[in-house]
Amino acid sequence: METTPQILEVKEVTMRFGGIVALDGLNLSLRAGELRCILGPNGCGKTTLFNVLTGALRPTSGTVSFQGAMISGKSPAAIARLGISRKFQVPGIYPELSVIENIALPLAAANRHPGVWSLLRQRPDRARIAELMGFAGLSQKGHVTAAELSHGEKQKLEVMMLLATDADLLLLDEPTAGMSKGETSAIAALIRKLTSELGKTVLVIEHDMNFVRELDCPVTVMARGTVIADGSYDEVRHDPRVIECYLGRAA
Amino acid sequence: MTRRLPLFLTIGIWVLLLLAPLALDDWRISQLAQFLTYGLFALSLAFIWGQAGILCFGQAIFFGIGAYLMALITLGKLPLLGESQWTGIILGAVGGGVGAFGLALFMLGGRGLSGAHLAIVTLCAAVVAEVAAQRWDFIGGFNGLLGVPPLVAPYTRDDMFLSSNETYFLVLAIVMAVYLLLLLISRSSFGTLLAAIRSNENRTRYFGFDVTVAKLFAFSLAGMISGLAGALFTAQFGFVSPPLVGFGLSTEVLIWVAVGGREVLLAAFVGAIFVRWVENLLSDKLGQYWLLAMGLMFIFVVILAPRGLFGRILNLSKSR
Amino acid sequence: MELVLTIGLDALSFVLTLLLVTLGLVIVYGMMNVINMAHGELFLLGAYTLVAAQSAGLPFWAGVLLAMLVVGLAGLLIEELVIRHVYGRPIDTILATWGLSIAIKQLIIIVFGPAAISLTNPLPGSVSVLGIDYPAYRLVIMAVSAFLAATVYLVLFRTSIGLQIRSVIANRGMAGSLGVNTRLMDRGTFAVGAALAGIAGAVMAPIMSVDPQMGVGFLIPAFLAVLVGGLNSLLGAVIGAGIIGGASTTLSSGMAQATAQICVFVIAIVVIRLFPNGLSKGFR
Repeated sequence: METTPQILEVKEVTMRFGGIVALDGLNLSLRAGELRCILGPNGCGKTTLFNVLTGALRPTSGTVSFQGAMISGKSPAAIARLGISRKFQVPGIYPELSVIENIALPLAAANRHPGVWSLLRQRPDRARIAELMGFAGLSQKGHVTAAELSHGEKQKLEVMMLLATDADLLLLDEPTAGMSKGETSAIAALIRKLTSELGKTVLVIEHDMNFVRELDCPVTVMARGTVIADGSYDEVRHDPRVIECYLGRAA
Repeated sequence: MTRRLPLFLTIGIWVLLLLAPLALDDWRISQLAQFLTYGLFALSLAFIWGQAGILCFGQAIFFGIGAYLMALITLGKLPLLGESQWTGIILGAVGGGVGAFGLALFMLGGRGLSGAHLAIVTLCAAVVAEVAAQRWDFIGGFNGLLGVPPLVAPYTRDDMFLSSNETYFLVLAIVMAVYLLLLLISRSSFGTLLAAIRSNENRTRYFGFDVTVAKLFAFSLAGMISGLAGALFTAQFGFVSPPLVGFGLSTEVLIWVAVGGREVLLAAFVGAIFVRWVENLLSDKLGQYWLLAMGLMFIFVVILAPRGLFGRILNLSKSR
Repeated sequence: MELVLTIGLDALSFVLTLLLVTLGLVIVYGMMNVINMAHGELFLLGAYTLVAAQSAGLPFWAGVLLAMLVVGLAGLLIEELVIRHVYGRPIDTILATWGLSIAIKQLIIIVFGPAAISLTNPLPGSVSVLGIDYPAYRLVIMAVSAFLAATVYLVLFRTSIGLQIRSVIANRGMAGSLGVNTRLMDRGTFAVGAALAGIAGAVMAPIMSVDPQMGVGFLIPAFLAVLVGGLNSLLGAVIGAGIIGGASTTLSSGMAQATAQICVFVIAIVVIRLFPNGLSKGFR
């Protein structure tokens, strides 16, 4: 039986800021098409990990490779062009622009070679934009300024923007932050569709335990810059190291 | 009807401009042609500021480069390049573009300067450019160059000057061409990229775009258009001097664009013509008070009407 | 050797005055994230207040004091009428204060006329310093500037109100939630920053030819000093003023003033390019 290839390999990555060790010899690998959650208390290094993966930070030591190629040390734009897209905790949308323009922008980068000359000759792909707006239930709001959307709509818009980039690996940083329970379920369903129907590989950072349970996917738990447990949600919940780490918090 | 108002107004304005020679006498048409040149200058700043979000306090540097090149060439001071006005106009534009490219390369290279720092550096550059122009004798020093010949008709054999109407139509044709070009660019994916850079530059990098190259391109294009405007200016006014590269003119064009409406190209264009026209009307009566009024008007617009006077009614895009 | 000493003293006097102007800019930026493009015109206002005071027959030092009060008050007005409305919008603040600088300059031209005015030197004659004859008044300028700069630093680093000010510069939100009255601080520091520029203008006026373009003449070096030294740093103000002021004076002694200006600009932008956050923040 052929094993699915590892799309992402993080090997012994350490990230130091002066005296602070944010990531400590972290190892992580993802198979193509996998959906994985990363859990951990505040300050355990989850966001730093995302920063390293997207090129915002260059790891002090260790390597990151994506689809076989080394990406640690590359610029954010170069890494994005290779097919990694990130959703930020605070919605990374363009508040002054309309919904259509918001989606049109990452769409223009979907061909992976968004140079000035090719962008000048391109017009936004109206059909694809309409399709994506449909996915997110925003079809009636094309010309609305993004700042006027509700919080949940903004989050969905940003997920659509990530889809527009046609990236293979999507990094979602606390996608349910600020959402109501109903919105949370909707986002969970959307994220599950990303892997099951669209074949994307998705890595999610989360805090909301109910949401993690709904996603029903493998979980990696981090603490103090390194991985302390790996497995399904139920396995990890009963892991003594994880309990110790979360001592004082309701599981 | 109100939803289509901007489109009607836009078309209406161009039609009016095309028909203007029927209603205006020679002197007024010349004046309008000069206003069109200012409008062209305003278009260049509106593009870089309103579309790309880069505030430049020294846009006149590139206008002045174009003006000086045009003067130097048509006065025969650069024999290697000949004396043709078309060379002057083209090289004026190219010179403006090269100057802008150089300055942008410097400011945006490495980690790049932030918006506020960049604005200050362009201000200092404009002051220094004027000082440098005053000291450079070859280009006329403090007094600049006078006696620049007006535009010549290429289709007569006696090198006859273009009439007022012909000059007007030539300038109008250039202005319309540039306007359409900028409009097309703003409708393309590159235009979307510039809007994204203006809105949230850092986020845009994470989508895979080379933001620095995009800004370089936009800045250079704006510089080219400024240079083109400068070349046309010199041919119409017949002179060039150091204040044309300095911060005084740079500030004036900022005011025109802010008052007109920086986010909408035609609004900025109309803003330039409007402010200039009002200045002509009132400066005799107001004298020194005119500049004071301008300063106060500028503050007013910045605080209370950031879209400018004409931004909303001329906005062709369906959102906002 | 005499020449070196003279240039050195000239440089010191320019640096100290530039420091006063720069300090005002840095403090206001640090406190309120406001880049005040009208700062040069506050310097100008100070000079012209002295002109007005002298033509009204007031003694020199009364004129300087008046300049401090008038410009400080102007600062309060500006903060209340303009700055407050564009708070949080840095680019709009630059634009609004730029409009203000145009308006103030034009107001001065209307009231005093565009021509340059010469003031009488309140302390003519020279004094023997380190073996050379140096104009006495320039030494006074240096003393006043040094005294004021030192006072500012002492207040900021040795008093409790200075601590409050520095806490707001360091972290506005935090300071506010700890009970610091940030609004009052804003008004106060803007007024003080303005007053500093006003005093600098008044004190410099007798040795410069006072004309409406003076403001920009000091604003540009002050901006370069701030960018070179570091926008948010008091130490940076000293470093920046030192470099820009020193380079300016030294180069001006050897070449035409205009060429010196260009060279200083080139030096400044090279430094800014290598150290985008200023020298006080280190290499990037």
